[in-house]
Amino acid sequence: MSRNLVELVRRQHTVQAPTALQVLKAAMDARGEITDEDRRLAAEASGLPEAAVYGVSTFYDDLRAPRGRRHIRVCTGTACWAATADAHVDSVRDGLGLTLGERSEDGSVSLAETVCLGFCHSSPAIRDGDRIDAGPGAVERLLGGTTADAAEPEWISVLEEPVLTRPGDWSGLARALAELEPEQLLAEVKDANARGRGGAGFPAGQKWEFTRASPGEQKFIVANGDEGDPGSYIDKYLIERNPMLLLEGMALAGYAVGAEHGFVLVRSEYPHSKPILEAAAAQARELGWLGEDIAGSGFDFDVTVLEGGGSYVVGEETALLACVEGLRGTVSARPPFPAQKGLFGMPTVVNNTETLINVPFIARSGAPAYRDLSPGGSPGTKLICFNERFARPGVYEVRFGTSMRELCEDLAGGLIDGHEIKALQIGGPLGGILPASRLDVGFDFDALKAEGCMVGHGGIVAFDERTDIRALARHLLRFGAHESCGKCFPCRIGLTRAYEMFGAEQPVERARLEPLLETLELASLCAHGSGMPAPIRSLVAHFPDELGLI
Amino acid sequence: MSERFDSNVTTTCGYCGVGCRLEAHAHGGRVVSISPALDGPANEGHTCLKGRFAHQFSRSRDRLTAPLIRDGGGFREASWEDTIDLIAGELSRIKAEHGADAIAGLASSRATNEDCYAMSRLMRAAIGTNNLDNCSRVCHSPTSFALRKAFGLSGATGSFTDIDAAGAAIIIGANPTEGHPVVGARIKQATMRGLKLVTIDPRRIELSDYGVLHLSPRPGTNAAVMLGLAHVVARDGLLDRDFVDRRTDGYDEVEALIALYTPEHTEEITSIPGADIEAAAHIYAEAQEASILWGLGVTEHKYGSEVVRLICNLALMTGKVGRPGSALLPLRGQNNVQGSSDMGALPDTYTAYRAVSDEEVARSFEQCWGVPLSRQKGFTIPQMFNAAVDGRLKAMYIFGEDVAQTDPNTAHVIAALDSLEFLVCQDIFETETTKYADVILPASAFLEKSGTFTNAERRMQLVAPAIDPPGEARTDFEIILTVSRALGHDMGWRTPADAMDEIAALTPQYAGVSHERIGRRGLQWPVAADGTDSPTLYQESFELPGGRGQFAPLPYKEPGDAADDEFPLILVTGRRLQHYNAGTMTRRTGNLELLDRDWLEIHPDDAARLWISDGRRVSVRSRVGRIETEARVTERIDPGHVFTAFHFPEVRTNLLIGSSADVNTSCPEYKVVAVDVRPVAEQPAYTPALAEPALS
Amino acid sequence: MQVTIDGNSVEVSSETTVLEAIRSLGGDVPTLCFDQRQAPFGACRVCLVGVEGAPGPIPACTTPCRDGMTIDTGDATARRVVKAVVELVLSELPDPPAEHTELAVVARGLGVGEPRWTGRRHEVRHDQRHPYLAFQHELCISCGRCVRACDEVQGAFALTATGRGFDANVAAGLDAGFRNSTCVSCGACADTCPTDAIIEITLLQMSDVP
Repeated sequence: MSRNLVELVRRQHTVQAPTALQVLKAAMDARGEITDEDRRLAAEASGLPEAAVYGVSTFYDDLRAPRGRRHIRVCTGTACWAATADAHVDSVRDGLGLTLGERSEDGSVSLAETVCLGFCHSSPAIRDGDRIDAGPGAVERLLGGTTADAAEPEWISVLEEPVLTRPGDWSGLARALAELEPEQLLAEVKDANARGRGGAGFPAGQKWEFTRASPGEQKFIVANGDEGDPGSYIDKYLIERNPMLLLEGMALAGYAVGAEHGFVLVRSEYPHSKPILEAAAAQARELGWLGEDIAGSGFDFDVTVLEGGGSYVVGEETALLACVEGLRGTVSARPPFPAQKGLFGMPTVVNNTETLINVPFIARSGAPAYRDLSPGGSPGTKLICFNERFARPGVYEVRFGTSMRELCEDLAGGLIDGHEIKALQIGGPLGGILPASRLDVGFDFDALKAEGCMVGHGGIVAFDERTDIRALARHLLRFGAHESCGKCFPCRIGLTRAYEMFGAEQPVERARLEPLLETLELASLCAHGSGMPAPIRSLVAHFPDELGLI
Repeated sequence: MSERFDSNVTTTCGYCGVGCRLEAHAHGGRVVSISPALDGPANEGHTCLKGRFAHQFSRSRDRLTAPLIRDGGGFREASWEDTIDLIAGELSRIKAEHGADAIAGLASSRATNEDCYAMSRLMRAAIGTNNLDNCSRVCHSPTSFALRKAFGLSGATGSFTDIDAAGAAIIIGANPTEGHPVVGARIKQATMRGLKLVTIDPRRIELSDYGVLHLSPRPGTNAAVMLGLAHVVARDGLLDRDFVDRRTDGYDEVEALIALYTPEHTEEITSIPGADIEAAAHIYAEAQEASILWGLGVTEHKYGSEVVRLICNLALMTGKVGRPGSALLPLRGQNNVQGSSDMGALPDTYTAYRAVSDEEVARSFEQCWGVPLSRQKGFTIPQMFNAAVDGRLKAMYIFGEDVAQTDPNTAHVIAALDSLEFLVCQDIFETETTKYADVILPASAFLEKSGTFTNAERRMQLVAPAIDPPGEARTDFEIILTVSRALGHDMGWRTPADAMDEIAALTPQYAGVSHERIGRRGLQWPVAADGTDSPTLYQESFELPGGRGQFAPLPYKEPGDAADDEFPLILVTGRRLQHYNAGTMTRRTGNLELLDRDWLEIHPDDAARLWISDGRRVSVRSRVGRIETEARVTERIDPGHVFTAFHFPEVRTNLLIGSSADVNTSCPEYKVVAVDVRPVAEQPAYTPALAEPALS
Repeated sequence: MQVTIDGNSVEVSSETTVLEAIRSLGGDVPTLCFDQRQAPFGACRVCLVGVEGAPGPIPACTTPCRDGMTIDTGDATARRVVKAVVELVLSELPDPPAEHTELAVVARGLGVGEPRWTGRRHEVRHDQRHPYLAFQHELCISCGRCVRACDEVQGAFALTATGRGFDANVAAGLDAGFRNSTCVSCGACADTCPTDAIIEITLLQMSDVP
């Protein structure tokens, strides 16, 4: 929030102190609650003032509700909702006799909601401690005490020579260190015109160039693994299945901009991501691909893995940096951009994890080859994922430009059990909603934008014919309001008002809805507030009667 | 917001030497709220809890509202007429019987420039003596002395904004976040923007946590620290040879002297690790612009004035004076301690520190005031007390000073006051001092008067009344003029602005000063006739014959007191944020709720050895006195030292302070007192009934 | 560099914000989270103005000037949206703001009437444990000025934003009041608060007297 807090944290960082968030999370994990004593200790350890620590402890979902010895988190994300309309949530609540956010009197069990667990391929998903069960029977198993581990999804590439699902082998970094100067690698990445894969679509090469050019004692690479989009589990699998490729992408970014250290922020909703990534980093160090003087080139680079605390908006780049610093995950005005003043006030590249795993290919095979991967479409390829409604859900590497119909029907096999697609939400909760009638649109940035939709992060959630559109609007707005960081006025208040409008029984007046949506779109500080109207507008355009509009 | 109030007046705070500009909002005859002025040059829209909130004292029920004349063991209310007649009568009588020099005056450093100038005219013209002093004697007189010798002018060489322009800074013997909060805040913000701060103090102060280095010298060894820093500057080629050659005199002797103060030798004296001395010297000297700030932790010592000379030496060696960002900033405590001395409320100088023995100057005042004036230096405060005790001084007129609480060697002070034939006290409350008065005159608080204060940046700023003095109390200005008229000397002014016009006419350094010109931004003296003022001094030359800054080869000497077997700990005294000096004003506000007592800080090692637990009541004994207070165990202070403040009369800290004082200026050595600390026996279950002891 | 504001040209540097440029010409736009003693924050969005060539209105306080920028402080879209933002703020308070508060002044200046969107309001919670400063938590609109005053002006770091989203508010220390925090009672928070959520007790008592 304030640059002084960042400065105070920076001074502690240089002596490897833990962040306040990390200390608080550890206290919560150890004892299931956070006391004022924990807050004081966190302040002392991290260098953050006590008041600021208090603010942190009231911001993140993971820190807010006390936990029982058995802590159950039920997913209320969009894919799970699309599967059951939250019936599973009711069942778990009733079965345990607890409301969401409540701990039993004797402290033995607690229940909380969580969004999202990344098991959208087999919704509904429930987390029991650190085990995640999903799919048919999950609720019964949970209540019966026989929670199982849900199966992981498929991970498939349509390319003959997979790019993003190909296991990282450090060949890109090897070639870059041996044959390219940092400026040359940077030029190659610019030339490849790789656009950010997190949702904003900003050209990665330009970001890197700004960072390289900014003066600063130290520079950083921060990998944004905080895919909070309900319905998206892409980052989860690329981190857990292909961690080496991600580390390689980060090292390449470091080489190109002049950074010696990288951070990966992974979600706490994915309990396996951090251990897997840390083990991969340890292995990479042993092999000599991380650490000092990599491959005898004189280039040093290493990586720290951090877990978030349960906040969707932390996926926004300035909020992400605040989270890495252990502060409240609120959004900061830009300029200054992270490329100029980022982590600890230093020039920083913030890239989505999927963006970074594109880089090894570019380093190894060059910009033209990268641009050719999707002939006629945006350069490179994209990972997408499908929700449980589909016959063959999973993570797929696809080419840009492929039609949505081909993706949904051919690749994912259409919907199960004879259900029909009523509509799709593409790219996350801020993505527009595509009705079934428009499935021939191509999966690409401009084409989807013309439909009021977006590529976003690539998650595809199908709503079948049973779906109550008004309930969908309510579900999306509830998520939006809950995740608002609370800084800017339009989003902080406006999303709650929008939710209240659709939450009441009465019809919604267009004359009252339109100015509210406009205010959110034009006045919000970040894409959370300004993006939330997009799916609502889609529903207004395509399903006005079902929405109950007058 | 302002429309809610009956009046909104911009004035200058009456607490400390920062001189915040404040907007006083009055309603129904009281000040309801005070907010900081956005355009205040020193405070820029900020202020502290004293300026902001601690104003209720002005309407405290125990404000003096009528003149009081002694009646047996107590006082009776009297009319102004009777009281003035009595004062004039007694002073005239004493003057006739014993001479004008049997009378002395003490001006308040909290009063305005015009009040102090009026006092000086009263003592010199109406009465005929130079026996006049103000409380800067006991705080920054060493600073004044040393700066005049080294550079020529008695004031900060720059402004508070120099802190923002500096790359490095040293704070020695000051705790700005408590004593000068708004300047402390400015420094703190600067450190977070990259200012490299070195703090030098026997205690770790709050700013030490934001600085890059802290040095903890044994109390009384500041001179050795400065000499040690100078040694490293010379040794490591950090001297600004060009500046030293072009603009200074006397370096050769200093060069020879500092050769002795190697880091090892300095460590022996001060107990500061040699490597830290080296690091500190480099931090200061290598910054393009660097400033030094100091406070009473430097001046209230036997050789305090010499330490200030050594501070000046360091700045001259490195050329870090006379430019924005490179300033020497003594943190003057009182709101007008700078001004009261500037205005000549001193025994040996007229305005702008011009000697009373200077013929030309004396004649100019004689011409204006129409009476012959003495060329003899008068008594300083300590000399006044000595003279009272041995019978040479018969009367004193003290305004706005509680010497019985704030001066050292309390027993001696009380003996002195007791010996006087006639004591006039002019104040806003009854105090420890007024207990000995023959007449008490009810005066005005800063929110009730008009005039100017001069802050620690030499900035003269306007004071405007937000409310009237209560009851029959009058402004100090009016009272002094009335007394003077009763003694036969009419100063002829209607308002304080008239007094300032006279000051400007008689003082070349303040030639362009007038209330109108001062306006909202103030004026930093010297002020040329056309109104141009001086934010940064000495840009081209120093104010000395020849224009060169003067070095001084002063070696380290032991302080006046030292720990020994009987008194094994050294007591350092200082301030706390919530209260101001004697606490006369702040203890009558909500600040008392925030801090209602004081305590003695003691290191865990000492506490353990002496069987003192946190919170335990302890006795503190020095060679001259004994007090009791509560102990708090902390690692902020080093082993061997203890610290306490002096805001609570019940504690009477200054009973402990002896007569050791600065060799040049007699500023008492408050900061080095050898003491013995031990737990006090628990209260007995049965307390014998005793009469309330007279508080003395 | 040169920028044009409402038809008038002014020289600015690359560090000048649009708001500073507007004010240097004697013009103004309303603000709620801005205080000249603090770095711009960009939370309230009430300072939105129109800029030629931009897809939508921009916040004047956090946007640096660019050479040749043409700014319209009366841009219709900006005004419409800004009014709506202030309406939203009024809708979260239990009562209309006191006349003298900055919020009330801004609302009057914009001609904001009854909010079109109503629903939950802040819960009333008062704290008067300090001799001079009181919290009226329900009046907090999370503009962040108090927290920033405490951080960037005083440097006591006694205040923090708390909670998230609609429930965001402000607290001192570990939410046990000013006295149990690192507060030094400088009053900078009360001085900057635009709604009296933090207020000096003597002023609170003044309001109580009819």
